[in-house]
Amino acid sequence: MGDLFHRQPLLRELKEIGYLFGKLKRTQVVLTAGNHDYLKAGSYYRTFSWPANVHMLTGNVLQKAEFPELGVSVCGFSYHAREMREMPELQLPGDSGQPVNILMLHGGDELHAPFKKEELLRLGYDYIALGHIHKPCVISTGRMAYCGALEPVDKNDTGPHGYLAGEFTEQGCRVRFIPHALREYRHLTFPVSAGMTGLAVKEGIREMIAGEGTQHIYKIILNGFRDPQIMFDLHPENVSGNIIEIVDQTKPAYDFEKLFEQNQDNILGRLIREFRDYDRDSTEYLAMCEGVQALMEARRG
Amino acid sequence: MRIRELEIKNFGKFTDKHIEVSDGIHLFYGENESGKSTIHTFIRGMLFGIDRGRGRAAYNDTFSLYEPWETPGNYSGVLRFESGGKMFCVRRNFGRLSRRAELFCEDDGEELSVESGDLNMLLGGMTLTSYNNTISVGQLKIEPDRSLGVQLRNFAMNYYAAGGGDMDLEHALLNLKERKKQIEREIKAELEEKQRQREKTEQESSYVWREIHKLEGELESLEGEIESRREKEQQEAGGKGVIDEIRPAKWRVHPVEVLLFIMVSLFPLFVVPRPWNYLVCIIISLCCGIYVWNRLKVGKKQEKTEPERILEEITPEEEKASLEKLLWEKGRISEEIRDKKTMYSNLQEQMEELEEVGSAFKVQEKKKAAVELAVCKINELSDELQEQMGRVLNERVSEIIESITAGRYSRLVVEDQMRISLISDGRKIGIGQVSRGTVEQIHFAIRMAAAEILYEEELPVFLDDTFIYYDDGRLANTLEWLWENKKQVLIFTCQRREEQTLERLHIPYVKEEVC
Repeated sequence: MGDLFHRQPLLRELKEIGYLFGKLKRTQVVLTAGNHDYLKAGSYYRTFSWPANVHMLTGNVLQKAEFPELGVSVCGFSYHAREMREMPELQLPGDSGQPVNILMLHGGDELHAPFKKEELLRLGYDYIALGHIHKPCVISTGRMAYCGALEPVDKNDTGPHGYLAGEFTEQGCRVRFIPHALREYRHLTFPVSAGMTGLAVKEGIREMIAGEGTQHIYKIILNGFRDPQIMFDLHPENVSGNIIEIVDQTKPAYDFEKLFEQNQDNILGRLIREFRDYDRDSTEYLAMCEGVQALMEARRG
Repeated sequence: MRIRELEIKNFGKFTDKHIEVSDGIHLFYGENESGKSTIHTFIRGMLFGIDRGRGRAAYNDTFSLYEPWETPGNYSGVLRFESGGKMFCVRRNFGRLSRRAELFCEDDGEELSVESGDLNMLLGGMTLTSYNNTISVGQLKIEPDRSLGVQLRNFAMNYYAAGGGDMDLEHALLNLKERKKQIEREIKAELEEKQRQREKTEQESSYVWREIHKLEGELESLEGEIESRREKEQQEAGGKGVIDEIRPAKWRVHPVEVLLFIMVSLFPLFVVPRPWNYLVCIIISLCCGIYVWNRLKVGKKQEKTEPERILEEITPEEEKASLEKLLWEKGRISEEIRDKKTMYSNLQEQMEELEEVGSAFKVQEKKKAAVELAVCKINELSDELQEQMGRVLNERVSEIIESITAGRYSRLVVEDQMRISLISDGRKIGIGQVSRGTVEQIHFAIRMAAAEILYEEELPVFLDDTFIYYDDGRLANTLEWLWENKKQVLIFTCQRREEQTLERLHIPYVKEEVC
């Protein structure tokens, strides 16, 4: 349901995917264009001849593909521009003679076909297949879901990826998520405490990764309070091969309250008094940490 | 607070030494190496404890220097002092294994705890560093490579701009500057990486662009070729006129034409009056002759010359390719152009996305902003403190300086950037222009003033060979000032000057010979 390609597909790419789709002997494929591979004036989508089992709904208004042998009709529309602020008419066509009706819809945010969940559910479709968001997400059980990307596309596409398998029975639609991607991007927060050295952190991260699964790809966020004397020099490749990034968000483990008590009248105490009530993630708090560290390092004696 | 009694059980060279300390000026006189500094260090150790260094540093730190050789287990002492009208007693054992500190009030026997900061409270919150920076006066220590003026400036800055404590403001700001630079370097590296990516994409897209152009050129020439082929073919196919159509194939000039020409040529002979008819007849027949001759020439297929034949043989097959093949080629090239154009627009899109600011960049920017904010705030606070402390401190330091120098310098002025100068007879004299002795006196005055301002309760003053650079007059003034302003002064000296001066001034003092 949209964005089969991240950009305008090339003809040879369409040929490849067409070949792969054509190999599906028992499956009918219905697809639309999304905001990334939208139907531009010269798009190959407009002219490409798909195999017989592939049905592309190219209109920017609701179109329908019917499969009488399956008892299913699939409705959907394609993007003709990069954005689509207005939702086209989505009412279930009255002439649909099939017992099961599915709507394919790409978008959901402000710039891309914004919708309200309740309104969509009221349209009368048996299932609404959503696309656009990379993370799999069920909006309404058995009625509406984002299937997410098959594989993580970006380092921030964390969590499991796969596809949704839906089955229509007497009781209605049953949708299952089938994990398919072998690797995930994972963000791990590693708590650092004041007693830890660089090597201890490195080993800790390795252990954590071993526990989580070495097949995944990690972004490590160091959190907590570090020994003010220590600078972690952690390069991802020195810690483990499957880390793309290590973000150091640790703060020096100064006991600000105690420091304040001891230095009420001098500049250190005043700096702490100015900033200590700010939020921990604020620039001001960070400024306090930096300032205190600089003053402490410059301490005489 | 006043110190009353020292009981040195085992410390440095002393064992079981008992010293009563009186109010007023207490002179510890001793020759070099007699143990004056040991007593001074003992008092400091009793008040603040002695930390043991680690590793190599431990070989000659205070702990090891004063550790007794014979009974290190008994490395200890007792200090009695009076504070707020009550007598207190501190017992400490500095030993490696038997480290212990006890504090109790002798008047009501209440046990206090050194660990939880009771002693520190009795001292008015004074820390070891502020002790070293105020009431315990040695000579102004000069760090290597730093002039006395700079050293004093730093020292004064500590009080004026940092509000006491042991901050080195300049150094701290330098640290922050370094930190900012480091963050900027990181940001730059990130931007460079992005730039590299952008350049790569740009290169790729310009390559695609060039290719599009090349293909378009090819397409154009191909179209020209096809056009000319078509024209040629048309010429070959439909270039013949009506006459050509009706002319028998093998005849270059149609027989009817010949007949017609003869008729037309002869016609004027009869129609046109003489003598003009001959002329017209000749002209017409000449015209006909030219036409016939022309026809014969066109029809004659020219034999190809040798070079022409060779040229034909080496011309590539493509050029001679059929129109159909050319048309197919044209289709292929326009398809390829379309493909490349799609690729090009995709690359452009990618570049647009690269323009967007990354999240890592934002984190770095925030860090940088934080450092900048810290610098800004520290400067602001330091200005504030400078003004606040400065006013009070300045007054007091000026007073002290005035009495020490007997009115020679009436004021001390601290300006922006900690530029210290003295006012003498309405003239401003920079710190660089005064003698070492005077710098020492300013140092002394700042310490005394700071101790008064920072601590409510009056504290004893410890002077360890402070007066080496003082002349006799100023020494007298200083001692007089101390006698008038301080309740308890402990002077450690290896000279007789102080004693003689005190005698001369008739200031009562207690002398303790250290040996």
